[in-house]
Amino acid sequence: MRTLYVEGRSVLHRMPPRAKLLGLAVASIVLFATRSIPLLGMFCVASAAVYLLLRLAPREAFERLRPVLLTIVVVGLFTLLFDSAIEAAVFVLRLTSLMLLAAAVTATTGISAFMDEITRLAMPLERIGLVRAADIGLAVGLVIRFVPEVLARTQAIRDAHHARGLKPRMLTLAVPMIILTLRSADEIAAAIDARGLRGQN
Amino acid sequence: MLTRDLVLAALFTAIIVVLGLLPPITLGFIPVPITAQSLGVMTAGVVLGAKRGTIAVLLVLLLAAIGLPVLSGGRGGLGVFAAPTTGYLIGWVAAAFVTGLASEKLVRAQQSGLIQGIGFFVASLLGGVVVLYAFGVTYLALVTGLGFSKAFLGSVAFIPGDVLKAVVAALVGRAVMVGYPLLPQRA
Repeated sequence: MRTLYVEGRSVLHRMPPRAKLLGLAVASIVLFATRSIPLLGMFCVASAAVYLLLRLAPREAFERLRPVLLTIVVVGLFTLLFDSAIEAAVFVLRLTSLMLLAAAVTATTGISAFMDEITRLAMPLERIGLVRAADIGLAVGLVIRFVPEVLARTQAIRDAHHARGLKPRMLTLAVPMIILTLRSADEIAAAIDARGLRGQN
Repeated sequence: MLTRDLVLAALFTAIIVVLGLLPPITLGFIPVPITAQSLGVMTAGVVLGAKRGTIAVLLVLLLAAIGLPVLSGGRGGLGVFAAPTTGYLIGWVAAAFVTGLASEKLVRAQQSGLIQGIGFFVASLLGGVVVLYAFGVTYLALVTGLGFSKAFLGSVAFIPGDVLKAVVAALVGRAVMVGYPLLPQRA
């Protein structure tokens, strides 16, 4: 799986992930606290500047934002039609700023840095016995490891359909894919426990 | 939590990610394309039950948040949580939980196939449509300032697709119950 992280040496790259996440949280609170359009406009321009300072290739930079930008525009037009222009402008400026800042954090924070931070944040939850912090990293690793396998299995089931002259349907595709995948759970769990990856059970 | 339950949840997360890679289907009588990914959310509850299903969905959102393009259409990163439709993403967690809980309560191994299928359908409808839209519409109404009725009006076109997904989720749940039952042995 290709991640959305981009290598680089910008200020944002060098900032610790916690500072970036905190900054994002503060920005979202500020954005939703104000309704002044000039202020929100300035915020939006500043966010765009932060994003552009990452110096992504223009096409790549736009492609990353496209899906979210599209929903913002569609809902913005809906608001414009059924509510007022002011509501629509406030909404579009708010979410566009937030999207730009979030995209900048994503592009400058690697997966391992994120996981370290999440594991550390989960420590208090571990103390109250809700979750084992190390399990989060293990589970994320498992998913990344098994996505290509599940994909290959789906492709094989699709090929089996074609070989029999059947049209692949959601149901006939999903059921064998789910059963075959979940069946491997016992073996994987045994392998994890045999290696003592989760400590004493 | 047993290692097996953790592995089952992680494997189901992989299944939800792969369902997001399948091309969206357009049906003649529904105006919006249907993606298989939200089908995966209902199925997680139906197949794994409340606890493991919720963990599987939480893992999808975690992977998306740390910058992996795991959501349908290759979306990912923190930016997806800044969309007006973010309420639906957050609602996935509650949807999987409610679907799982209702499945655990409604479906028993000794029931006939038809009763099990209906139980799974009601569970999927409750979690994957009622609860999901409650989250999605509330978020949309608050973030746009549109108010509930208009926000609901803007979302109503998607409901037929999701009801159809609940039917498919029920059929999948029943088939997996026959082929490899996991729901009775709860986490």
